[in-house]
Amino acid sequence: MVDAARHPNITVKSYTEVKRVEGFIGNFKVLVEEKPRYVNMDRCNGCGACSPVCPIEIPNEFEEGIAPRKAIYIPHAQAVPLRYVIDEEACIHCYKCVDACGKLDAIDFSQQPRQEWLDVGSILVATGFDNFDPSVIKEYGFGRYANVITAMELERINNSAGPTAGRIMRPSDSKFPNKISFIQCVGSRDERYNLYCSGFCCMYTIKNAVQWKQTYPDADITIFYMDIRTPSKGYEEFYRRAREMGIRFIQGRPSIITEDPKTGNLFIQAEDVGLGRTIELESEMVILSTAAIPRVDTDAMGSVLNISRSPDGFFMEYHPKLRPVDSPTDGVFLCGAAQSPKDIPASVAQGSAAASRAARILNADEWEIEPIVAMVWEDRCISAQGKKCGICATKCPYGAILVETGKAAMVTAAKCHGCGGCVAECPHNAITQKHFTDAQVISQLHALLRHEPEKKVLAFMCHWCSYGGADNAGTSHFEYPASQRGLRVMCSARMDSDFIFEAFRLGAGVVLVSGCHPQDCHYITGQRVGAERFEKLTKRLVDMGISPQRFRVEWISAAEGAKYAQVIREMDQTLRQIDPQALKEEIERTRPELERRVRRLPEIPDVALALELAKATS
Amino acid sequence: MQHTDNTPHSFKDEVMAEPGGELLQRCYSCGTCVSMCLVNQTCPDYNPRRTMRMVMLDMREETFRNPTIWHCSACDLCHPHCPQGIHISDLMRAIKNVALRAGYESPLPSAKVDEHKCSGCDICEKACPYGALSLAAKTIDGKERKISQVDRSLCMACGICAAACPLSAITVEDYSNEKVAAQIQAGHWLKKAKSGDPKVLVFNCSWNLRAEADRDAMSELPANVRVVNVPCSGRIDPTFVLTALQAGVARVLVAGCQPGECHYKQGTRIAQGRMHTLNHMFEQMGMDAQRVQFVQIGTEDRGRLPATILDLVAELKSSTVAVA
Ligand SMILES: Cc1cc2nc3c(=O)[nH]c(=O)nc-3n(C[C@H](O)[C@H](O)[C@H](O)COP(=O)(O)OP(=O)(O)OC[C@H]3O[C@@H](n4cnc5c(N)ncnc54)[C@H](O)[C@@H]3O)c2cc1C
Ligand code: SF4
Ligand code: SF4
Ligand code: SF4
Repeated sequence: MVDAARHPNITVKSYTEVKRVEGFIGNFKVLVEEKPRYVNMDRCNGCGACSPVCPIEIPNEFEEGIAPRKAIYIPHAQAVPLRYVIDEEACIHCYKCVDACGKLDAIDFSQQPRQEWLDVGSILVATGFDNFDPSVIKEYGFGRYANVITAMELERINNSAGPTAGRIMRPSDSKFPNKISFIQCVGSRDERYNLYCSGFCCMYTIKNAVQWKQTYPDADITIFYMDIRTPSKGYEEFYRRAREMGIRFIQGRPSIITEDPKTGNLFIQAEDVGLGRTIELESEMVILSTAAIPRVDTDAMGSVLNISRSPDGFFMEYHPKLRPVDSPTDGVFLCGAAQSPKDIPASVAQGSAAASRAARILNADEWEIEPIVAMVWEDRCISAQGKKCGICATKCPYGAILVETGKAAMVTAAKCHGCGGCVAECPHNAITQKHFTDAQVISQLHALLRHEPEKKVLAFMCHWCSYGGADNAGTSHFEYPASQRGLRVMCSARMDSDFIFEAFRLGAGVVLVSGCHPQDCHYITGQRVGAERFEKLTKRLVDMGISPQRFRVEWISAAEGAKYAQVIREMDQTLRQIDPQALKEEIERTRPELERRVRRLPEIPDVALALELAKATS
Repeated sequence: MQHTDNTPHSFKDEVMAEPGGELLQRCYSCGTCVSMCLVNQTCPDYNPRRTMRMVMLDMREETFRNPTIWHCSACDLCHPHCPQGIHISDLMRAIKNVALRAGYESPLPSAKVDEHKCSGCDICEKACPYGALSLAAKTIDGKERKISQVDRSLCMACGICAAACPLSAITVEDYSNEKVAAQIQAGHWLKKAKSGDPKVLVFNCSWNLRAEADRDAMSELPANVRVVNVPCSGRIDPTFVLTALQAGVARVLVAGCQPGECHYKQGTRIAQGRMHTLNHMFEQMGMDAQRVQFVQIGTEDRGRLPATILDLVAELKSSTVAVA
C-alpha cells in the first residue's frame, strides 16, 4: 500500500466511498464521497501529540477489539496516509486534541463530506471479504468461553506489533497456553452457514501452528480437520513438515466444546475418524478457523457497479474458466477475495491479471464491441409517450437499458452483449436486435416452412449451446431425420413468443425451442428470461387448442450432440403419430387466434416488406 | 475384502427410498454426530457415521447386525450439529425399517406388561415417547379385556411407562421395581456409614454426563452418598423416593437431562412433573419439601452434577435437618 501511494500514476483516495457509477467501458463517471476526517491532511504531520490526550477509549477494530484505541487515531501502523482521523461517533468534543496539536492547527471540526466526479476508463473491484462470526455456532462457545478465539484474533496476538507486543497469552488469565487446538471449517462446508470451502484456512492454520511450534518446541498443538486442502505449489510439502514437527492432526469435526469454569480450560469432543472412536481433548486455548464470507456491503456495491453475485454470495465473474477476472459488465474487473476466497498469492495473481486487462482499455483509443446489440425504435416505445413501462430494463442481465418515463428507453451499446431478451420481451415491439431483426427472423421462418410445413420439425436454437449441440450431432454422425429445420438466434431469451405463434400460424408440425442449461448461459440470466417465457407460453398454446406434444422446450449443451439428435428423432416420431387429418384440422382451427396474436407484427419496421417478399417468392 | 454393489436397486438404494433415508449420500464422514452422541460411551460399536458408510458400501447383513440402528433413541442431539443437514435419527430409523422388513428383531430389552395386573387404563400409552404401547383386546382368564401391548420394534426400554403405571403392571428388565428397591438398600450402607453423616441417595439418568471426568467423579463420592443409575429420570417412580426416605435417607436427588436434550424425548419433563408433585405433597404433610430435589444437567454443564451432590452433602453436614 505504501508503495502504491508513492507511485506517480496512482492516487489513493482513502476514507472515500464510491457512491455512483455511470457510463460504460472506457468512459465511466464515478461519484465519490470523501468523508470528513476532521484533521487537515496537509497540516497533520503524524506527530501523535493528540492521541494520548484524548480521554475516549473504544475497542480497536484493527486489533479485533483486543486493544483499545482513542477517538483520534491512526487505523494501523501501515495505514496510508499515515495521518490522524477523528471518529466522529466516539468523539465527545472536549477539544483536548486541538490544544495538543497547538501551532500545527491541523484539527478542523468544520470539515464536511466532499463529493467529486471522476472520469475513469475501467474499474477494479478488490473489496475483499469479511470473517464469519462464530458465535452463532453455539456448540463452540465463542463469546461465552474466554479462551475460544478466532484465527484473526490469534494473528493479532501473535504479531510483534500487535496488542500484546507478540507475547502470547490467553484471554481468561493472560497465561501462556501450551496446549492449544485449532478447529477448521468453522462456518464453511456447512449447509447451515456457507456451503463452499473457504480455501485458505487450511494453509494459514498450518502456518500458525508451525510458527508456534518453531517458537515453542514444547507446545502441544492439535488441528481438528475434515480434509486438509493443499492445492498450490509447496503447500503439501509444508503440511508434511508440520506433521513431522509433531503437530497433531485429527480428522474429525468437533461436535461440542465444554469449559471447566475453574481452570478456563476447554474440552473438545470429536470422533477421530481414523480411529472410529470419540475422543475428549483438553486444551488451554481453542482457535477457530472461521469462514471467509462476502462483505456485508456486497449487495450495495453490486448495485452501484451493476455486477451480480454468484450463489455463494461473492461477486460473479464473466466466465469461470475463460474470463475469470472480468465481471459481466465490460470495463469492470474483479480480483482477490471479493470474487471468491483466495490466499495472497492467488489474490496477487488475479490482481495483476485484472490490472493488465484494465490497461488494455486505458491504452486503446477505440474499443471493439459486439455488433449484435439491441436498438430502440424510439417512436414505438410507450415510455417516450409518457407511459410507465421499463419491462426491457428489468430483463437486461447487464443493466444496459435506461428507462426514464417521458423518454424512449435508451440502450448503451457498449454495455449490451446482445442476448436479445429485451427485444423479445418488449410488449410493443419497440426494440430490435441488429443482425437478428424481427424481419430477418420472420423471413427465415417463412423460408423454412414454405413447403409442407406440417411435416417439419422446426427447431429454434441458441448460438452458444444447442446450435453447438446440433453441430456436434453432425460432426459425430448422430443421425436425425431430415424433417428438422433449424433457426439460430443468439440466446433463448431472443426467442420471441411471436416467432412461435407465427411458426404455428404457418402450419409448422412441431416446434422445439432449445438453449443452454441455466449454468452454461452465455448471457448470465438470458436462459432464465427465455425459460420463464416458455413456461407461460406452453400453457397459452394449450389454451389456444394446440396439442401439447407439438411444442417442446429442451436445454442442450454444445457437447450434447447425442441429446440433440435424440430430441429431434423423438419429435419427428411424435409428428408421425399425429393423424394428418386431425393435424390439418387443428392447424385450421387455431389459425384465426394465431392470426390475431401476430396481427401487429407488420407494424414493425421492415416486417411488412419481409412478409410481402415471402409471399412473392412462395 | 468388502465387495460392494453400486448398481441401482442395491441396499443403499433401498435405504434411500425409505422415508428419512433420502440424504444418505450427503454424509462426508466428519464424525460430528458420533462425538455428539452419548450412546457410544456405553456401546463402543455404536457409530452412526460408520453405519451410513456401511449402507453406502452395501454391507447389508453387517448393518443389520450392528447395534447402532437399534440403539438410536432419536434424542436428536446430533441432528442440529450435522453440517450437511442430515437428520441422522430419521436415517437410522429408515435402516431399521428395512431391517425389520428383512425379519431382524431389536436386540434391546423391552417393556413387559403383566396382563393379569393391567386394567387397560391407557395411562402408559400416553406416557410412552415412542408410541410403543397400545390397547388391544385380549382374552384373559376367560374374559375379553382391553390390555396394553408392547410393540418390541418401537420400545427403547426407557421405563417411563413402568413409572407411570398406577398398578405397577409394567416392568423393564434390569430396572424392575424390585431391582431398584434392592439397589437402594443393598449392602446395608444406610446402617454402615458413620453415624451422624446424613445419607444422600442420587437417582441418576444414564445420559446426562458427557465429560469423562464427571463420570469418574461419580464413582468417587463420599461413603454417605449412593448413586443408583436408571435409564431415564422418567423411570423414577415416586414410590422409589418414598422407599428411600423411609429407609433413612436424608435427601434424594434426582438428576435428569436438560429439557430438549432428554435421551428419551420427554422423560425429563415427566420426571420434573412427578418430583414437583412430591415437593408439594411433602409441604402439605408438614415435611421439608426439599427432601427430594430434581436437577436437570445440560450437555455443557461440565462438573455440575458432582458439584451439586457435594454441595448437598456439605449443606447437610452443617445443618441439623430432620431425617425421619
Ligand atoms: C486469519 C487469516 C490468516 C491468513 N493468513 C494468510 C497467509 O498466511 N497467507 C496467505 O496467503 N493468505 C492468508 N490469508 C488470506 C488473506 O487474508 C487473503 O488472501 C487476502 O486478504 C485477500 O486480499 P484482498 O486484497 O482480496 O482482500 P482484503 O485483504 O480483504 O482487502 C480488501 C480491502 O478493501 C477494502 N474495502 C472493502 N470494501 C471497500 C469499499 N467499498 N471501498 C473502499 N475500500 C473497500 C477493505 O477495507 C480492505 O482493506 C489469511 C486470512 C485470514 C482470515
Ligand atoms: S419494454 Fe419496450 S415499450 Fe417498454 S420501455 Fe422498454 S422499449 Fe419501451
Ligand atoms: S454429522 Fe452429518 S455429515 Fe457428519 S458424519 Fe454425521 S451424518 Fe455424516
Ligand atoms: S419402556 Fe419406554 S419406549 Fe418402551 S414401552 Fe415403555 S415408555 Fe415406551
